Amino acid sequence: MLYINNLTKNYGSFTAVNHLTLHIPEGDLFGFVGPNGAGKTTTIRIVCGLLRASAGSVIIGNTAAAAGSREMKRLIGYVPDFFGVYDNLKVREYMDLYGSMYGMYTRDIAKLTDDLLELVNLSDKKEVYVDTLSRGMKQRLCVARALLHNPKLLILDEPSSGLDPRARVEMKELLKNLHSMGKTIVISSHILSELSEMCNSIGIMNRGQLITAGRIEDILQQLSGGSRLCVRIASGMDNAVRLMKEQAGLVVESVRENEMIVSGSITDEQISALIGRLIQNQVILTGFYREEGNLETLFMQLTGGGAQ
Amino acid sequence: MRIKWNPIVKKDLRVAARSMRISWGLFAYEALLTMVFLIALAVIQADSRSIYGSGNVYNHLIYLFPVIAIAQVFIVTLIVPILTASAISGERERQTLDIMLTTCMSPFSIVLGKVSSAVVHILFFVTAGMPIMALAFVAGGLNWMNLFYFVLAIILLSVLAGSIGIFCSALCRRTITAVILSFAFYFVFGILTGVPVVIDGALRQWEGVGDSMLFLLFNPIVFFEEFFMQLMSEESIFGSVGYVFSKSDVGFLTYHLAKGKLWMLVSAACLTATAVLFMLAAAWKVNPIHSSAGRRPSGKRAK
Ligand SMILES: Nc1ncnc2c1ncn2[C@@H]1O[C@H](COP(=O)(O)OP(=O)(O)O)[C@@H](O)[C@H]1O
Ligand SMILES: [Mg+2]
Repeated sequence: MLYINNLTKNYGSFTAVNHLTLHIPEGDLFGFVGPNGAGKTTTIRIVCGLLRASAGSVIIGNTAAAAGSREMKRLIGYVPDFFGVYDNLKVREYMDLYGSMYGMYTRDIAKLTDDLLELVNLSDKKEVYVDTLSRGMKQRLCVARALLHNPKLLILDEPSSGLDPRARVEMKELLKNLHSMGKTIVISSHILSELSEMCNSIGIMNRGQLITAGRIEDILQQLSGGSRLCVRIASGMDNAVRLMKEQAGLVVESVRENEMIVSGSITDEQISALIGRLIQNQVILTGFYREEGNLETLFMQLTGGGAQ
Repeated sequence: MRIKWNPIVKKDLRVAARSMRISWGLFAYEALLTMVFLIALAVIQADSRSIYGSGNVYNHLIYLFPVIAIAQVFIVTLIVPILTASAISGERERQTLDIMLTTCMSPFSIVLGKVSSAVVHILFFVTAGMPIMALAFVAGGLNWMNLFYFVLAIILLSVLAGSIGIFCSALCRRTITAVILSFAFYFVFGILTGVPVVIDGALRQWEGVGDSMLFLLFNPIVFFEEFFMQLMSEESIFGSVGYVFSKSDVGFLTYHLAKGKLWMLVSAACLTATAVLFMLAAAWKVNPIHSSAGRRPSGKRAK
């Protein structure tokens, strides 16, 4: 859906984005993570045609259209990291303004506005002045606005920065909802945990470079903690420790009253065989799981000194 | 077929209608125009009663029209930069320009929309001043067609002024700088276009001027003067130049342009072309693809 190829952006001698190559497949909910100043906004602005790249290219969909061309703009819905307000404009008129900027007729926009406001849960605010809305509402209105022309790709820059927890949850629900409707969505954030729950793939960026990108599960696999097994046992700990030690490639790290931590590389087939043997040897298992890789740890690890 | 307004015009009019600014502007405009009218009337009355006057006030009322007309053009050209100077920089400050640029609006239609909304605002002012204008017209013995031409001339001048204002707004970050730059451009077009003519004339010991006079085609003041002379007495100062001087004295082109209404029409075309050029330049400046620095709105975000 979105192909970014060797994208580079220099501000004078400062390189904000450095040879970024990224592919986001259709239907993805992609999280774009990096500390402040990593170059996320710069990348997004280039994709939206608001900034000229120093080098590299951006391709959206199957079009070979140039960045900033009308065909490309039709494919993108952009929710910036700020909310531009006009005084003295009502929600309905705000939608009408941007709808007509896409060449739609007022009557068609009015119909669409009803549906979109319903979707973002702002139906009762239609006749309210935009600048009196709360920040979370403005943000959702901004999403509705970005959906007016039915774009294939929705790009949100830090959509939840400055929102209170409740508004964050509402925003998250809205985005999940949109994802299930088949939109390709890109969200940037400097908070990883915020994205890890809803995105199916992420890219981590630091100092203008893409450090890693891929499906969330795959990225978790890269974690050192990903190969640690946590085994909870009700009884038969001695047998369990013996069996674990017999298993090639496993090292028992620690043993507590009813829990043991084992590390080493082991395949899923080996795990199921191991569980079978444990049960045969009268070990009562109450839990057996791979220790979840901590994304925050990974993030700090990968972004090194960049994160404050 | 349904007519599509430029969305920016629609929005600007809506927002302006709800703000106090336009009401105060109209009030100030009306007050100023009425004041000019009353002063002109007082002067005319005093003049007609003096020993040099004919004693008949109606003979003098004909001067009411030029005074009111010039006052109106003067006020309008001063208002336009104030209306347009914040058009682009204001959208930039509000950070709505970026959103606009991600829609299907081309930079040129954004600029055109902004100029149009300035012209529509000017038409509000002109309409508000219409009763006084009409009175001065009738007193001046002019017909309704002339009033129509006068409105056309005001539209042309405000399109030009608006284009200059928009260009300055696209160029400058701050609104006040844009206003000042607009007036600098006024100076260039209103005064500096006359400089070559003066130099040329001096070199020829005031025996005539050459084609340097063609610079004056781009001078809005000269255009308005020509327009006004045509309106009042169907004569052209440049026409007179054509009669007084020989072809070799004023240059071939000027000599032919100076016949009848030709100068005025060519000048109108030149001013329109200038306005379009300013709009194109503004659109070029607004288009983010052309600015390598990538003007990030300076509004700081709390993190
Ligand atoms: N217009 C600009 N001129 C110079 N440097 C800029 C400009 N815009 C952004 N930068 C720099 O580029 C880097 C990346 O910025 P940005 O893309 O906004 O980061 P992020 O969105 O990931 O926080 C930052 O170090 C920032 O200071
Ligand atoms: Mg950012």
